Amino acid sequence: MDLERLEGTLARARPAGAAVAAWSLCVAEQTRFALGVRDGMVGGAYAPPEIAETASARYLLVWDDGRVSRGVFERGQLAQGLERSVAEARTASYDDPDAAQVLGPSEFPRVELEDPATAALARGEHLHRAGEWLEKAQELQRAQGFRLWSGALRATHERTRIRTSRGLDVTAQGTHYAWSASFDGEWGDGYQARALEPLPLLWERLERLARTAAQLKRPGEVPEGGRLPVLLHPHVVEELVLGTLLANLDGAAVAHGEAAFAREQFAKRARVLREDITLELDPLQPLRAGSYRFTAEGLPATRVRFIEGGRLCTPILDLKYARRLGLAPTPLPAEFDTLRLEVGETVPLEEARGQAAVVVLAVLGVHTLDPASGDFSLSAPQCLAPPGAEGAGRVRGTLAGNVFDLLRARELRAVAFPGETTPGLLVPCRFEPLP
Amino acid sequence: MIEELERAEVDHLARRLLDRAAGRGVHLIWRAQSCGSWSALVRGGRIERVAASRFSGHALWIAEGSGRTAFASRDDFEPEAAERLLDRLIENVLPEARLRGSPLPPTTLAPEQARLVPDTAARFAGLDLEAVRLRLLELERICTAGAPKVRLRLAFGAELDSWRIQRSDGSDVRFSIPRCSLRLVATAGRDGGKHSVGAAVASPDPGLLWQDQALDLFFRRARHAVALAQALPDAPHHPAGVFPTVIDYALAKGLAHEAFGHAAEADGLRSSVLAREGRFRVGDRVGAEHVSIVDEPLEGDHAWQPFSPNGVRRRRTVIVERGRLRQALADAWSAAAAGVENTGAERAESYRCPPLPRMSNIRIEVATPLPAPGDFEDYDAEALRERLAAEGILRRHPRLAFLSGYSGGQVNTTRGDFVFQCKAIYELSQRGVRLFKPAIFAGSMFGALEAIREAFGPLCLDAIGTCGKWGQRVPSSGGSHYFLVLDPHPSFRLGGN
Repeated sequence: MDLERLEGTLARARPAGAAVAAWSLCVAEQTRFALGVRDGMVGGAYAPPEIAETASARYLLVWDDGRVSRGVFERGQLAQGLERSVAEARTASYDDPDAAQVLGPSEFPRVELEDPATAALARGEHLHRAGEWLEKAQELQRAQGFRLWSGALRATHERTRIRTSRGLDVTAQGTHYAWSASFDGEWGDGYQARALEPLPLLWERLERLARTAAQLKRPGEVPEGGRLPVLLHPHVVEELVLGTLLANLDGAAVAHGEAAFAREQFAKRARVLREDITLELDPLQPLRAGSYRFTAEGLPATRVRFIEGGRLCTPILDLKYARRLGLAPTPLPAEFDTLRLEVGETVPLEEARGQAAVVVLAVLGVHTLDPASGDFSLSAPQCLAPPGAEGAGRVRGTLAGNVFDLLRARELRAVAFPGETTPGLLVPCRFEPLP
Repeated sequence: MIEELERAEVDHLARRLLDRAAGRGVHLIWRAQSCGSWSALVRGGRIERVAASRFSGHALWIAEGSGRTAFASRDDFEPEAAERLLDRLIENVLPEARLRGSPLPPTTLAPEQARLVPDTAARFAGLDLEAVRLRLLELERICTAGAPKVRLRLAFGAELDSWRIQRSDGSDVRFSIPRCSLRLVATAGRDGGKHSVGAAVASPDPGLLWQDQALDLFFRRARHAVALAQALPDAPHHPAGVFPTVIDYALAKGLAHEAFGHAAEADGLRSSVLAREGRFRVGDRVGAEHVSIVDEPLEGDHAWQPFSPNGVRRRRTVIVERGRLRQALADAWSAAAAGVENTGAERAESYRCPPLPRMSNIRIEVATPLPAPGDFEDYDAEALRERLAAEGILRRHPRLAFLSGYSGGQVNTTRGDFVFQCKAIYELSQRGVRLFKPAIFAGSMFGALEAIREAFGPLCLDAIGTCGKWGQRVPSSGGSHYFLVLDPHPSFRLGGN
């Protein structure tokens, strides 16, 4: 993408007599390779081997009358005329003084984000890694007697550059790698990071997944329904618990009174969760999927605590809502692997299994919940019981409660799961078995 | 927008790519998209976002004679870059031995020449975002009048989505899909006890914000959402269990979409509960004899799509006819293997995504529905209770759980487990009406369809949503009669406390 031409156009453009007084551009150029498997069919019509090339520029334009325009210039759009694109941006301008912020130069941290092997895969070269992943999954499918398996693998190489009218000019080059797999349409697992994982770890994760899927093929001992100690798998913790917390920490939701947490509660550092719960974002960790050097607005990455000792510290704030709430902007969470949820002392998995009535591996319907209430009422079709026994098998049920109540419960324990960055949670919860 | 795809340069590009593919011995489906979108958001009485954007690009989908495929996309129409992509597909990706899985030869497609651009598409050129912004603020003030403690989010979105598909067999199909929506989310309650409730209307016309009929409907729905958001924080939790249930048409759309629609998509029939050894179980009984499920593109509807991204005309699909499976939602690559006809059911979020069989407007139809005079919005819980009492339903079931409004759902097609969430639950009984907080409705699809006993009112098919199958988001819609009554059945239950 020709950034110099775009900047020149911004300097010259006068749509409807208005001039651009300040601007910020975040240009991202991406190459991607992806491959899928649908019900055992490798690279079929629905998940073909795929290469894609994209380039776009996220923009903030502050006009000389104070209005702002925010959006994305796509490469195809710019190819049809830069002046036209800028004029279209002007038609979508509006008054938003809080959003009219363009950052200047700053110090940016060095963060390891790029892996040459992933970059080659993203270009559609060195496809042997995709082949190894396929072969191992197929081997496990045969060995465990699964009828089908599905999965996807993706590698991306991206170059990002931010330039602003106030002299900020910073670049980052990074890769992203992810895969997911499931056997016989049952429980799925996967991995994502900025680099390929070592092969032994890939084998280990796939084997763990196959073992769990095999357990789900046999019936488990159905527990009596009621308020039971349940062990929420890290996937469920991320989707349900962290998802609810993040939605209520969102600066826009806080500013508009749509979140469970009010702005005054942050000012008072109100205690909203149990006193040993901390939620921290660390985007500086090397080669994590959620790591980065700067946000799309040009804010340097740094560690930040949203909740400490059960007390609210800060909402998640971009520049606009930071100004509106009179607080400092924060880095933004990009993936769960850079979020650290701390809940007192962590319990070993075997000990937690001994205490739980059921392990909840997955839930259906989280996206239908209202995060402001924290209430949840979900289907849990993939649970294991009895959790501590070798002979654990599948049970199905419904799970109900309130996320905030869970995180205030005296009995709540964090549980370490192998290969996971997020802990599982052992907590009493309403579980009703389904036939 | 469609004009961008009909420029001479784009014609020339498509020709070059088709010729090049033919020279290399591969079949090519070339698909291009140009999509313009306009949106504005009012939150808490102020404009929070206005946006206008356009994206365009094209995708190359190649297949060898054996049926093996590869896919590439790029977000401009630069000819040399496109040719390089095609060459990389043919030279690097297609020959990789370990990626060559089991091929699936497509059903033969009939060549097609078509152009379908609705009249409303022309009106997008006159869309004035400044006027939209002011109008949205005005509508928000009307909605908040009398409800000062309710926080409102009001969003307008308009999209003109144009496609052009050319194939090696000479097909050339062009179409545009206009869609606009006005959505509201009302949030009320105290700290630690807030609830949000949504309402929406849709139209293909970008003048939606000035259409009296649409706005009347929107205000009725908005008033209901505001009142519900205010009432829910103080409402108790409904007990969990198995109950006789009434669902409205929006929830019925959820049931049809989540429980049956996804399981009838032919790309997933190798593992679907509606198939045996990969073949659709045509003729098998899956529900009550007076119940049918139909999917079809309806012009002007939010999920309308006249052609697939492979250039195949989309057809009406009767998934369940009088309780028995009849047709699957199939495309060229799934139809033969599933033993069904190709209904042109594939859709794609954008040119960047491989098309997948999926729904458009799906509905549950019940033979001989009972009357429900007036509009759906005329029926609050009390009016529904009276209607049920008049038809003797309350004698059969002295207490029913009325699940009102749809907040989304999910399904596991392998086992037929479905779940969906309502906006509120009302207990309807001889004594009156009692409001409860929302809870999930979960269970087995067969039990739910078997349990449908009565329907009230005419078909109402404007329940809109977004379907996220395999990470691709496309608009969805559908409905049913105003209300469906389900007898209690052990295979599905309400969540709650």
